[in-house]
Amino acid sequence: MTAAAPTVSGGTQSSRDGAVLFRAQGLHKSFGGVRAVRDISLAIPMGSVFAIIGPNGAGKSTLLNLMSGVYQPDAGKMRLDEIDMIGVPAHRRVRYGLARTFQKIRLFKQLSVLDNVVAGFHTHHNIFAWQYVLHGAAFQRDHARCRDEAMGLLAFVGLEKRAQVLAGSLSYGEQRMLEIARALATGPRLLMVDEPAAGLNAAEVDTLLDRIGVLRQRGITVVVVEHNMDLVMKVADRILVMDYGQYLFEGSPVEVQANPAVIAAYLGADFQ
Amino acid sequence: MQRQTTVMRAVLNSRLFWLIVAAVAIGLMPIIFTDSYWRTNLIVCAINVMLAIGLDFILGYAGQLNLGQSAFYGIGAYVSTLLIMKLGVPFWIAFGCGVLLSGIAGMLLSLFAVRLRGHYLAIASLGFAVITYQILVNWISLTQGPLGIYAIPPPPALQLPGLPIIDFKNLANLFYLTAGFAFLAYLLLDQLVRSPIGETLTAIREDEVSAASLGINCQAWKVFAFAVGSSVAGAAGCFYASFVGTLVPDAFFITESFTILAMVIVGGMGTLIGPVWGAILLTVLPELLRGVGDLRLIIYGVAVTLVVLFMPGGMVQAARFIAAYFRSLLPGRGAGA
Amino acid sequence: MLSVLLQQGINGIVVGSLYVLVALGLTLIYGVLVQINFAHADIVTLGAFAAYFFTFVLGGNYLASIAVALVVGAALGWLMNALIFAPLRNRGNELLPLIATIGVSIMLQNTMLAWFGPIPFAFDTPYSNDVIRVAGMFFTIQSVLIIVVSTATIGLLYAFMKFTFLGKALRAVSQDRETAGLMGINPNQLIMLTFVIASALAGMGGAMLGPVLVLTPFAGTSVIVKAFAIVIIGGFGNVEGTIIAGLLVGLIESYTTQFLDPGLIDIVVFALLLLTLALRPTGLIAEKREENV
Repeated sequence: MTAAAPTVSGGTQSSRDGAVLFRAQGLHKSFGGVRAVRDISLAIPMGSVFAIIGPNGAGKSTLLNLMSGVYQPDAGKMRLDEIDMIGVPAHRRVRYGLARTFQKIRLFKQLSVLDNVVAGFHTHHNIFAWQYVLHGAAFQRDHARCRDEAMGLLAFVGLEKRAQVLAGSLSYGEQRMLEIARALATGPRLLMVDEPAAGLNAAEVDTLLDRIGVLRQRGITVVVVEHNMDLVMKVADRILVMDYGQYLFEGSPVEVQANPAVIAAYLGADFQ
Repeated sequence: MQRQTTVMRAVLNSRLFWLIVAAVAIGLMPIIFTDSYWRTNLIVCAINVMLAIGLDFILGYAGQLNLGQSAFYGIGAYVSTLLIMKLGVPFWIAFGCGVLLSGIAGMLLSLFAVRLRGHYLAIASLGFAVITYQILVNWISLTQGPLGIYAIPPPPALQLPGLPIIDFKNLANLFYLTAGFAFLAYLLLDQLVRSPIGETLTAIREDEVSAASLGINCQAWKVFAFAVGSSVAGAAGCFYASFVGTLVPDAFFITESFTILAMVIVGGMGTLIGPVWGAILLTVLPELLRGVGDLRLIIYGVAVTLVVLFMPGGMVQAARFIAAYFRSLLPGRGAGA
Repeated sequence: MLSVLLQQGINGIVVGSLYVLVALGLTLIYGVLVQINFAHADIVTLGAFAAYFFTFVLGGNYLASIAVALVVGAALGWLMNALIFAPLRNRGNELLPLIATIGVSIMLQNTMLAWFGPIPFAFDTPYSNDVIRVAGMFFTIQSVLIIVVSTATIGLLYAFMKFTFLGKALRAVSQDRETAGLMGINPNQLIMLTFVIASALAGMGGAMLGPVLVLTPFAGTSVIVKAFAIVIIGGFGNVEGTIIAGLLVGLIESYTTQFLDPGLIDIVVFALLLLTLALRPTGLIAEKREENV
């Protein structure tokens, strides 16, 4: 793309192509008797775009919250690249290379667009502790580097001209893109986006799909949670279909489209 | 002309310039105010500035409503005084212990409250302030309860090589000492909030779930903010004890927490300079209005309520409005600016 | 010994039931708004003063003065919501309303101080000195009155919440704000109603606490500080938990006075509070509320 090369650095391209980056087995999560996620297993191949779809209330967001550590599962196993994720709090998972966006946008609304992204570099400041008090040359270099890289990420999502405005004043679509830029600042290997197209217009959706494609080329594995099936068909390599918190089907877009159970679930949901 | 204004602008925007202005202002104060009444008020200002910026670091930056600042203030005062009076520990070592213990108390409170959001923390910290106050009142064998501790000596005279002896029985010197410490505390906090720690704390203030998704350990950073903010309050307490010479628990009742909160809110939380102005204004203003009866706390209450309702950014926000207004009056910068 | 235990137990329940009235108001407001009204304390104090002046200056009946205090409380609650909470809703900072009410509280207390002075008012009701004797224990008619009135009020409130449409709507809002909109209820009116009910409880609580406490402009603060402890121990927004915790704190207070030292009451209560927070941050009787991420 024409945008200045952003420093999306975390995606260390694996030599083992087709290896599994994230694996979950038998995940369960209930809230006060409601079983939001029941016995979900998945294996996300490295470097792929993996979609989780299902009608509203199918448990997709809960699954994402389990994967990112917002909730801990009641039962089940999770591994990121052979590292056990059970019991690891959300903030630790970021250091292992997991990043996410939120369905209900959660930007720092009172901070500038640029500062939102800069906050994402939290785990990547390599200066000594005393430099936080006595700002030396290394501090200044770190400061400049973060600003430059943040501007690069903003350019990547097309927000470089909006860097100085408050995040709360962005349009809905811009806020979604800013959340992606902020998540990318953590240098993820696995980026999980929750309903990224909700509230976007057609042109914005196209940009979004294009950006996801670019991230994949750069070696970042992307998980897309969506209820819009058409959108997912365009980007996903593999699709997991959920319904009522349960596994319904998993396969390639073509297989998913042809599966009678999936069609039934979607038709049922759409015409209710 | 154009060039002159840009140079002026650069000077006005430089932090160094304002730090020098502040240092000079501190230096001039006891020269302008020579009577002991106003010099006493100046020292109270310096102590309140420390209390307010310490609270602002916790409240304005990390977004944690701490109503226990009076307790940290009291712990600093009582720990240092008891070490000096009962064990004969030298002032500066006692000072260090007071600061350290207030900081540890702050860490313990936040560890207790670390899983709590917003309002629970406010109440837990209020509870902490109530308990601390009650302990000061009831542990009579140690604190002499409501009777208080009397005849606390001022900091020992300072003998620096090549300089005359600096005696802190002199109010001007005592002011230089407390204001100098307030200045240092300000510098320390300012450096912290201008480093990535500032961004980290603001991220926690704005949205903890979101901050955690960026790898921020919210619990650890809240403990850090409490440790720093309460240590500064502890330092203020040490100076208070040696300046007033008497300690009674009532000086550290929860009302004191509300007073410090008022200074932060009126000045403008989330900026460091705001609470400085808030502390100065709310210390000096009631003194100027003394003829009208004891209106001090009524003024505080009204000020806090009105500021929150109509100008949540406090004096800093007001100053920005005024500056923007005058800038719009400058020739040639109207529409384009 | 047993009669001392019983006597103190009943004294504790008398005071505790008044704490319940005050704490229930806090819990109700927290339920619908997830906010705390710090000036709730001063509504208690003003309720007490309203009852005092109605009885001793206007020469009214003490029982009627409880109703007067209730109306005064309700009016103050209406004002608190209209002037402070409603304008600050949707400002995006959840701490601002709490801070504003701290400001209001400082203002009210010190205005009362300027007006009424710091000397405690002697608030003896006609029932304070009538004593009845049951099985070796003594009760004033006042404490019987307190038990009867507060039990009836709490019962009415409970029935209102359980059986009326509005009460159910209130509970629906505290469970999930969006549902209330679906029930066709204007959430703003519901919030206003909550403030009026909560503050009416505080006002009448004040009228009955006035004779029990040392009536000064700061009387409410000592109550509210315990009420905070009660709502946290019982679980914010949890009515049953608040009732149990309120009685518990009343008992602790009574027994601490009898067997330890009245000066230690606050320490014991808040030690229990901090212990609760450390072990079960959502209260002894937990509220179940998952955050919607």
